[in-house]
Amino acid sequence: MSAPTTSPTGTWTSAAVTGDGTTLGSRSRRRWRAARWVVGGIAALLLTVLVLAVMRPAGSVIPYDPENSRPDGSKALAQVLGRQGVQVEHVTRVADAVAAAGPGTTLLVTPATYLLPEQVQALAAVDADLVLAGADDGLLRAATGNQVQRTSWRPAPDAPVEPGCAVPAAVVAGPSLLAPGLESTTPDVSTCWADADGASVLAALERGGRSVVVVDDPVLLRNDEVLTEGNAALALHLLGAHERLVWLVADPADSTVDEGLSPDPAPGSVLPSWFGTALWWAVLVALVTVLWRGRRLGRLVAEDLPVVVPSAESTRGRARLYRRARARGHAAAGLRAATAQAVALRLGLPRSSHPDSVVDAVVRATRRDPREVADLIYGPPPADDAALSELARRLDTLESEVHRP
Amino acid sequence: MALSWRAVVLAALGLVPVAIWPVPGTVLIWALVIVVVCLLDVALAASPRDVTLQRTVPASVRLGTPATSRLVLTNAGRRRLRALVRDAWPPSLAAARDDDGGLRPHTDAAQPARTARHSVQLPVGESARLSTPLLPTRRGDRVAGPVTIRTLGPLRLAGRQASIDVGGRIRVLPEFASRRHLPSRLARLREMDGRASVQVRGEGTEFDSLREYVVGDDVRSIDWRATARGGDVVVRTWRPERDRRVVIVLDTGRTSAARIGTTSDGSLNSGGTRLEASVEAALLLAALADRAGDRVQVLAYDRTLRSRVAGASGPRLLPAMADALSAVQPVLLETDWAGLVGQVRTRVSQRALVVLLTSLDPAVVENGLLPVIDQLAAEHQVVVAAVTDAEVAQMRAGRADVEEVYDAAAAARGDLERSAVAAVLRQHGAEVFEALPDDLAPRLADTYLALKSAGRL
Repeated sequence: MSAPTTSPTGTWTSAAVTGDGTTLGSRSRRRWRAARWVVGGIAALLLTVLVLAVMRPAGSVIPYDPENSRPDGSKALAQVLGRQGVQVEHVTRVADAVAAAGPGTTLLVTPATYLLPEQVQALAAVDADLVLAGADDGLLRAATGNQVQRTSWRPAPDAPVEPGCAVPAAVVAGPSLLAPGLESTTPDVSTCWADADGASVLAALERGGRSVVVVDDPVLLRNDEVLTEGNAALALHLLGAHERLVWLVADPADSTVDEGLSPDPAPGSVLPSWFGTALWWAVLVALVTVLWRGRRLGRLVAEDLPVVVPSAESTRGRARLYRRARARGHAAAGLRAATAQAVALRLGLPRSSHPDSVVDAVVRATRRDPREVADLIYGPPPADDAALSELARRLDTLESEVHRP
Repeated sequence: MALSWRAVVLAALGLVPVAIWPVPGTVLIWALVIVVVCLLDVALAASPRDVTLQRTVPASVRLGTPATSRLVLTNAGRRRLRALVRDAWPPSLAAARDDDGGLRPHTDAAQPARTARHSVQLPVGESARLSTPLLPTRRGDRVAGPVTIRTLGPLRLAGRQASIDVGGRIRVLPEFASRRHLPSRLARLREMDGRASVQVRGEGTEFDSLREYVVGDDVRSIDWRATARGGDVVVRTWRPERDRRVVIVLDTGRTSAARIGTTSDGSLNSGGTRLEASVEAALLLAALADRAGDRVQVLAYDRTLRSRVAGASGPRLLPAMADALSAVQPVLLETDWAGLVGQVRTRVSQRALVVLLTSLDPAVVENGLLPVIDQLAAEHQVVVAAVTDAEVAQMRAGRADVEEVYDAAAAARGDLERSAVAAVLRQHGAEVFEALPDDLAPRLADTYLALKSAGRL
């Protein structure tokens, strides 16, 4: 190490410096001290996410889903059916349901709000036995051939109601507390648990060689209501009629109607299979590029900069004020006074000269009409912006005509 | 740890295995390959802390004059050094090389120039000398940044980086672009001085010598008494007074911070404040007055004394002034004129020429200079030299559309107000003039010569 030196020729030489006095250990400690809170925070966040992921209940949270064990799910019913030998096929797409619901199966349609008209037609036309739980009016009419309609909303009865019909499932189930909401006019339709106004809970009919059963109140499928009165018996009887049960919980985003003819294919299907891999490769290249460009070759060197206030700002501000206030009089007065001062200086007049003497001197120098000169320098303010421009131009001309005597 | 562009190329080459086995696992394996190879390269790179550095810079450099920062690197480690080195300097010193090899100064904020990077290959124990070109664009003291060394491993994919403070400071002196006006003014001075053929006789000149009459001399300067004693016709010669005092005062208050239109003479005075023009004028006047045999003193003042040069003369004067004025910067404070006059009166006892380099802002003059000008003008010859804005002068001539006419009217109004203030100052006995930044220095020199020839110093 040598001390900095200044030579007689005016150059300065630094001491010879090797390294910055840090070691790998000291740098690591310093970096750890600087980053420990950030690292600790990220670790705590990851731990929280992990714990939440472990503690999250398994299964679905969608209502009437056969894998949902919450009160609004239907796992209890699906499990009992499975134990009884019924093969429960859970589908979320209408196209899948239509494809799976062949002859000799049962298709359960849980409440679905966003079915398209084509989807409704496709569901109504399947060969399987149909069980509609809480179906909306469109699906109801399509599936029953307009033989069953919905009534206005009614509350569930306070006391159990007897079935009062010959449908086997209803007879087995016995009294029920389900809310009525269906009405039918044709005698081909059996209605059960009808109230005084004729609104019933269940409607069953034969149509196209298979049975269609409509239950207006879908709560009989739910985990929390399935044990109420005869709900379990009714549900098991309706859904366990065949070996296979297709359980449709329609996905609101689904718009499929038929396999292969789906109007809106999923995004992945039109892209080649290697696309995902190529995307990951692009991400890798981008990441390496970011790391390459992200490291600066040493920090920026700071420098105190002077204040940036253009001196002409105040003059510009005054010009804008003149313009906004349409102060043509002031503007013209400024220009005239400047011209008067310039010609007076050129003609050797004192600053305090009377206007008349200025006009006289200018007239002598330029041989112009005295009235014109007086009007130009001391005349009335211009009427509009065009007159102001014209005045400025004429003052320039006058000034250029006046020479030193 | 730092990557090079070769690491990106390596990552991009992953397209080949991805094309052969298009499954996400390929990308993962390729990423692992990159990580392993880069870590290996970092482990094999020379340590940037095993390099001995020594920086040599000029202690001071004139604004706009290219300079060089020299850096000597010695590989003190046990591995071959492949490195990228940056000798960092503040932006106003950094200069980029043009395509034709010339230096491009850092004047455009949108296009920052960066200090040069050097690629270095050093075997163990050897040294290299790196030259970083610098082109100063602002006055003042500039402290060097650190030296950053990025060493690369044998594959040059990745490496290690360290920034090491070496120290270094350059004092950027004023440009003194107005020195091109000096020869013509010195010629005028010699004409006045009796060394040239033209003899000027007037008030304020002092008797120099007697010599024989030659045809063309002014007959009024014949010394009849000496002619009678001798026999030949003898004339007296005269020369201007010498050893007068000149005090140049730079106002560094807030009005000196305003940016005036850029100078058009191609100089690099990009600071562009009023103070820059004042410094140029002060340097020219000092150089001229020193040659004329007067004693020059310079004060830079706003509310306190920022800088002062006194007692220097001859070849030591200009370096001393450049050094003292290099660090003077505008301060956003109202100038204390009473204190300034007090400074002048305590520093100067004899009658002197006091030059005030300031602006003629009406409000500032009325509240600041006007109440105290009498104290100064009673004892000294006062010259008030003000810098006007080239942009305002441009606005004054604008007639293209209505907006420009309004601009011209506002500029004319401002000119009138300033000339009224100048007239008031003249009534108090001061010599007042305004000039554009480029014209200020020659105008001040001319005013000085006029006063000197008139014997009013």
